[in-house]
Amino acid sequence: MTNGQKQQLIRDRAAALLADGAVSCIVGWRQTRFAGKTAVCFVRAPEDATLLVWNEYTIPLTAKYLADERWTGGKAGILARGCDSKAINRLLRDNQLEREKLYIVGLPCEGKADERCRPCRQKTPLVYDELLWEEDSAADGGGTSAADADAPGRGRFFRADEVSALGIDARYDYWEDVYARCIRCYACRNACPVCSCRECYVDMHRAGFQSKRQNAADNRVFGVTRAFHVGDRCIECGECERVCPMGLPILGQTQKVIQTAEALAGAPYEAGLNAEDENFLGKFDLDDKDAFM
Amino acid sequence: MAVDFEPKILAFCCNWCTYTGADLAGQSRMKYPENVRVVRVPCSGRVNPQFILRAFRRGADGVLVCGCHPGDCHYATGNYFTRRRFMLMRELLEFNGVDPGRFHARWISGSEAAKFRDTVSEVTRTVKALGPNERFQEASGEES
Ligand code: SF4
Ligand code: SF4
Repeated sequence: MTNGQKQQLIRDRAAALLADGAVSCIVGWRQTRFAGKTAVCFVRAPEDATLLVWNEYTIPLTAKYLADERWTGGKAGILARGCDSKAINRLLRDNQLEREKLYIVGLPCEGKADERCRPCRQKTPLVYDELLWEEDSAADGGGTSAADADAPGRGRFFRADEVSALGIDARYDYWEDVYARCIRCYACRNACPVCSCRECYVDMHRAGFQSKRQNAADNRVFGVTRAFHVGDRCIECGECERVCPMGLPILGQTQKVIQTAEALAGAPYEAGLNAEDENFLGKFDLDDKDAFM
Repeated sequence: MAVDFEPKILAFCCNWCTYTGADLAGQSRMKYPENVRVVRVPCSGRVNPQFILRAFRRGADGVLVCGCHPGDCHYATGNYFTRRRFMLMRELLEFNGVDPGRFHARWISGSEAAKFRDTVSEVTRTVKALGPNERFQEASGEES
């Protein structure tokens, strides 16, 4: 099936759901003024369903936008790929959404025009009310093949591996370069589906948790705090890095947290696979690794 | 510089064990380096990883987090969370270019005054050898 055919299926289904009154809106993607850039949109009338698009640039996560729709009446309809479904699971787990108020239209993904999609292992949604088509395993949308996963710089933790390969001083300089350029716009925070607090510590400037001043040192405190805060719930969607207006390679921070969680637990770890699992730092084992004796 | 350098070390100590242990060290007239500044917390689980980052940002040369031995937490399980959190945090710090010698965590009970003394002495020695911490600091040396 071509992307054009899939797009038609999406538009038809969205129009039908809206016309039936089954959902009060459809959260999907529309074209922007810029070639190769789509944006998340809310479609509320059946005749507007023709705005919806599906192509290799329908990259942004739809799930985060549900947090704004959670108190409205009726069901919110959402177009969800694998990554969106992991985000929905995390939001459900954190009691940010109610499953009964969602209608999830599952769209198995073919991989998008973005290097951060390459290691994706979850093309078909994990949670949905209907699937519009089946995953085409033959479609190579840039997913990681077994050989690819072992190739340096191409695996699941490609950014973290890049930094880990450096010595400790070079690692410091790597992040100095990143945080010297950060403008503290907090787009990385806003786009992140697991960053769901209504009031964020970075905005409570009078509490003094985080200096408002914008310099490499304070930006670094922000960056590492953010990574630690969301790291063990990170669904590895790459949105934080994708939305950064300065193009900063910050994905390595959360990848490192996941990588370390796996090493400490001695078992595979991935957030958002279901809506029940506790995150790594929200639980413990009596025989956890201990270097503090 | 290195000869006269006296590091500032911030120690977060749990009220129920290490803080009492430090008290006992004092009462027993044990000598340990004055470099350590103790911050009393209700549980080592109270120590937010951001405290560590802020300590470095605000001029600490080393940070120490101390709590009850696993199994002995006053709140039953607080220190099990601490253990996971800081096992992860020390990796993340190293990933960010902080020398592992600047961040330490130890389990010290209320009766282990000698362990408190030895830990503080050892941490002070390690941090002293590393020299002043310039990481997480502004290049211009601005105060925050
Ligand atoms: S999106 Fe980029 S520039 Fe903005 S706060 Fe995050 S890292 Fe800094
Ligand atoms: S931290 Fe980045 S990659 Fe992880 S869930 Fe948030 S936006 Fe996605």
